[in-house]
Amino acid sequence: MAIVEFENVSRVYTSGDHEQKALDQVNLSLEEGRFIVVLGPSGAGKSTLLNLLGGLDSPTEGRIVVDGRDISELSEDELADYRSYAVGFVFQSYNLIPTLTVYENVALVREIAPEALDPKEMLTKVGLEDHMKQFPSQLSGGEQQRVSIARALTKNPRILLCDEPTGALDSQTGVLVLKLLLEMARNYGKTIIIVTHNQNIARMADAVIHVKNGKIESVEEQDHPLSADEIDW
Amino acid sequence: MLFRKLIRTAGRYRAQFISMIIMTALGIGMFLGFNMEWVSLETNMQQFFSDTGFADYRILSEDGFSEEDLEKIQAIEGVEKAARYLSVNADLAGTSKSLAITITEDAEVSGFVVMEGEAYDETSTDGIWLFDKFAEENGITVGEELELTYETLSVKGTVKGLIESSEYMICLQDETQMMPAFDAYGYVYVSPAMLKKILPVKIKGIMDRLFHQINVRSGLEKKVFQEAVDQALGKTMVVIGKEDTVSWSEAMGEAQEGKTMGAILPVLFLLISVLTMVTTMHRIATNEKTQIGTLKALGFKNKRILRHYCSYSLLIGITGALLGIGLGYFVAWFILNPNGMMATYIVMPRWTLYIPWWCWLTVALVVLLMLVIGRISIAEMMKGTAADALRPYVPRVSRPMLIEKTKLWERLKFGTKWNLRDIMRHKSRSIVTLIGILGCMILMVAAIGMYETANAFIETTYVQNAGYSSRIFPASSGRETADAGKANQTALELAEEYQGDYSVSMSVQVEEETYLMDIYHIENDLIRFMDQNNRGMELPDDGAFVCLRIREELGLKEGDEITVSLFGTDAKYRIRIAGFNRSMTESISLSDTYASTLLYEGEPLTESDGYRIGAVYTAVSKSQVNQDERISSVQSRDDIVNAMDSFMDILNLAVVILVIAAVVLGIVVLYNLGVMSYTERYREMATLKVVGFKNRQIRTLLISQNLWITVTGIIVGIFAGIGVLVYLMKALAPEYEMKVVIGPLTIIISVAVTFAVSLLVGLMVSRKSRKIDMVEALKTPE
Repeated sequence: MAIVEFENVSRVYTSGDHEQKALDQVNLSLEEGRFIVVLGPSGAGKSTLLNLLGGLDSPTEGRIVVDGRDISELSEDELADYRSYAVGFVFQSYNLIPTLTVYENVALVREIAPEALDPKEMLTKVGLEDHMKQFPSQLSGGEQQRVSIARALTKNPRILLCDEPTGALDSQTGVLVLKLLLEMARNYGKTIIIVTHNQNIARMADAVIHVKNGKIESVEEQDHPLSADEIDW
Repeated sequence: MLFRKLIRTAGRYRAQFISMIIMTALGIGMFLGFNMEWVSLETNMQQFFSDTGFADYRILSEDGFSEEDLEKIQAIEGVEKAARYLSVNADLAGTSKSLAITITEDAEVSGFVVMEGEAYDETSTDGIWLFDKFAEENGITVGEELELTYETLSVKGTVKGLIESSEYMICLQDETQMMPAFDAYGYVYVSPAMLKKILPVKIKGIMDRLFHQINVRSGLEKKVFQEAVDQALGKTMVVIGKEDTVSWSEAMGEAQEGKTMGAILPVLFLLISVLTMVTTMHRIATNEKTQIGTLKALGFKNKRILRHYCSYSLLIGITGALLGIGLGYFVAWFILNPNGMMATYIVMPRWTLYIPWWCWLTVALVVLLMLVIGRISIAEMMKGTAADALRPYVPRVSRPMLIEKTKLWERLKFGTKWNLRDIMRHKSRSIVTLIGILGCMILMVAAIGMYETANAFIETTYVQNAGYSSRIFPASSGRETADAGKANQTALELAEEYQGDYSVSMSVQVEEETYLMDIYHIENDLIRFMDQNNRGMELPDDGAFVCLRIREELGLKEGDEITVSLFGTDAKYRIRIAGFNRSMTESISLSDTYASTLLYEGEPLTESDGYRIGAVYTAVSKSQVNQDERISSVQSRDDIVNAMDSFMDILNLAVVILVIAAVVLGIVVLYNLGVMSYTERYREMATLKVVGFKNRQIRTLLISQNLWITVTGIIVGIFAGIGVLVYLMKALAPEYEMKVVIGPLTIIISVAVTFAVSLLVGLMVSRKSRKIDMVEALKTPE
């Protein structure tokens, strides 16, 4: 069953007289509980696609339907509501609040997410149960990314959106983070969508969406995706 | 969680938070302090005036008033209470101290409050109620015997109580004194019964002649009251409203000074604090932009994020306001307490502090303003979608400066170019820094200049331009004796004996305004006049000098003629203006030679017009003057100068406070902006380090920008400081007609302190450049 559907979605950015089409008439349908990778070079429109899906941005034209709900016409407050329960975000630069501890960063979402899970449980799941009282600056990059994943998961969303989640990590830590994301899809039925330009990560995916010049070039189904340990970083 | 974030973020930006809190506290504290001061002063004084029945009008007559006259005044409709009143300066036997003997026939008119001892008894024939400050300074206690001598009369009695009277709220012996000397001059109240007892019974009507004043409490308008009095007594009388008395006018003048101070200094501080808030909140907001984006991405609504970030400015506003209220109370208390600065000038029984409602309103508005500034800064960062908010803040690209198109630009060193571009790129930060320096400089120049001006005033007024050593007030020179001709004869004898010059003082009216007309006989160069540049000048024989205030009030110029009418007569005279002089009294000064040419109906001024010698100026010191029955009292110039010491002490304190405020202002503003500038340029400096710049070179870059702004601020600040001082002297002490004097020392000290503050802060901030972590700084994404 499709959890995400894009119907003729375009996003145009205007700067003075200059117009830039970041996405151009995109049509897309994504199944629930799958591990999907969006692949493409810089400026292809990957992040725009992710931002639109995550309700961080709205399309200039077209419809985006998530779990049966059209999010393309939502107001700012309705989008905030949508973000608070439907999607979880994992950023390349982690985007943790530096003045909150690891536990507090994760527990923060309980203030807005109606079905939030136990932050301690999530932190234990990502292997950070011993770091709860530390501040982000006291953690390594991989640990910070795991906090970011725990925070996203605590909202108990059905979709996890990851923008270059391993982009700032070394190979070893990157593999750990990918393993964790894969586990979320396989064991907990979450839909994981990863945006990257790293082709090796694509080999782990159930489906790979190739984006180029704001258009979907192809959608490649993979019957035998590799595990995180198997990919060549 | 967000509350914890607020607290920790405040800790993270502590330099900014602390500086904004200090600036807000200073602004509110100064505003509250000075405004509380004048409101409390006015309220306490009004209470004192009301408690002691301060007279609304004083009717004067050189011949005195009979009981019949009093009854006629009491019968005027609208007169609440009236009493015959007497006040004469007497000597405390065996000392060189003076006390004004005061008698009111009704204690509810121009009375007093008892601070210690027995209540006033109008039937007492031996009771003396003594001014408590005089008693304190001279160690006199209740129950002690006192003897006062006035001409041939001796007043002996027991101190029954220690008192304070609003008639003597500012207890000055005469108008040339600027500050009270509680140890040398005071007042006593005795009952009319006592006066009756000591007066020689054989002189008929002597009591009536002594009461030269009727004091009246009435809500009537001056013009209406004057007409009613003239009609009741059948002649034109001299009526002085409370506004023209020293106590009332000086006291209200003090309140007005507080108002002026409350409107200038706090505005400067509040302005700088608001500007600092604008700049700093904007910087905090830009630094927090990606966090704002993160919160948005997590699903926090805009309202919630706004509320969270507004709580930053609310925290600053409320903490600053609370500290400011405390500071305001302290400032007001410091000036207004029974042993404080104001108590050396004004004496009253209550010193309660009041905060007016509009001060609370202002405090609330300042907090609200802080909130609005915070809100606007954050709202700017929240604009657009969550995806926009997640992108770090990118400052607007600045256009190339004009200088960049010239050949000069090519020749400039890298550091100069870098700093010039940085200043232009961060205009608001640079402007606020400039205003901070400017504020520091203005305060310094105004404070030190005020001290120099007051010093120069005392030097020129009492040393250079006062040739006399003491002033002799001849007996019966007042209005007690009808035989004015004889009194003038005695005064002339004294002038000859002590080789003195002398003066005659008369009240005159010019265009509805009341002034003094002083006629001088100068042959020994003991009385001198100053022009507006403090240079000495001689009183001419073909015209009069008028003081600078009258010149301004009447819009006069040299060569103009004015018509003066004498109080109590129909006589009018035309006077030619020969020049303008600085004077502490609002007066017209003329030589006796010129005065002799003034005619009314062909007659010159005579004793019957009130032409009576009031003072003889002599080079003989007070101790050398033989105080016989011809002399009422003697005033030493040294006593006046000594009384100035306490005035200068207060001024010194004010200067120290202002200099401290200037330094705090400078350090707080510059440090805050310096740290901000350092943080903003961290990556740039890290890059310079990577390229091979040494720490010393980077420090020089940082300090040189600071110094450029400092030098600009100092140059503008010198002129702005002089401007503020000129305004302050005019607003705060117009009655002294002081010439603003700012010498090189004031400028040098102001420049040196401001420069030192800037350099110190520059060094403090630039020291941080040693800690730049090149790898970390350049690793973080733009």
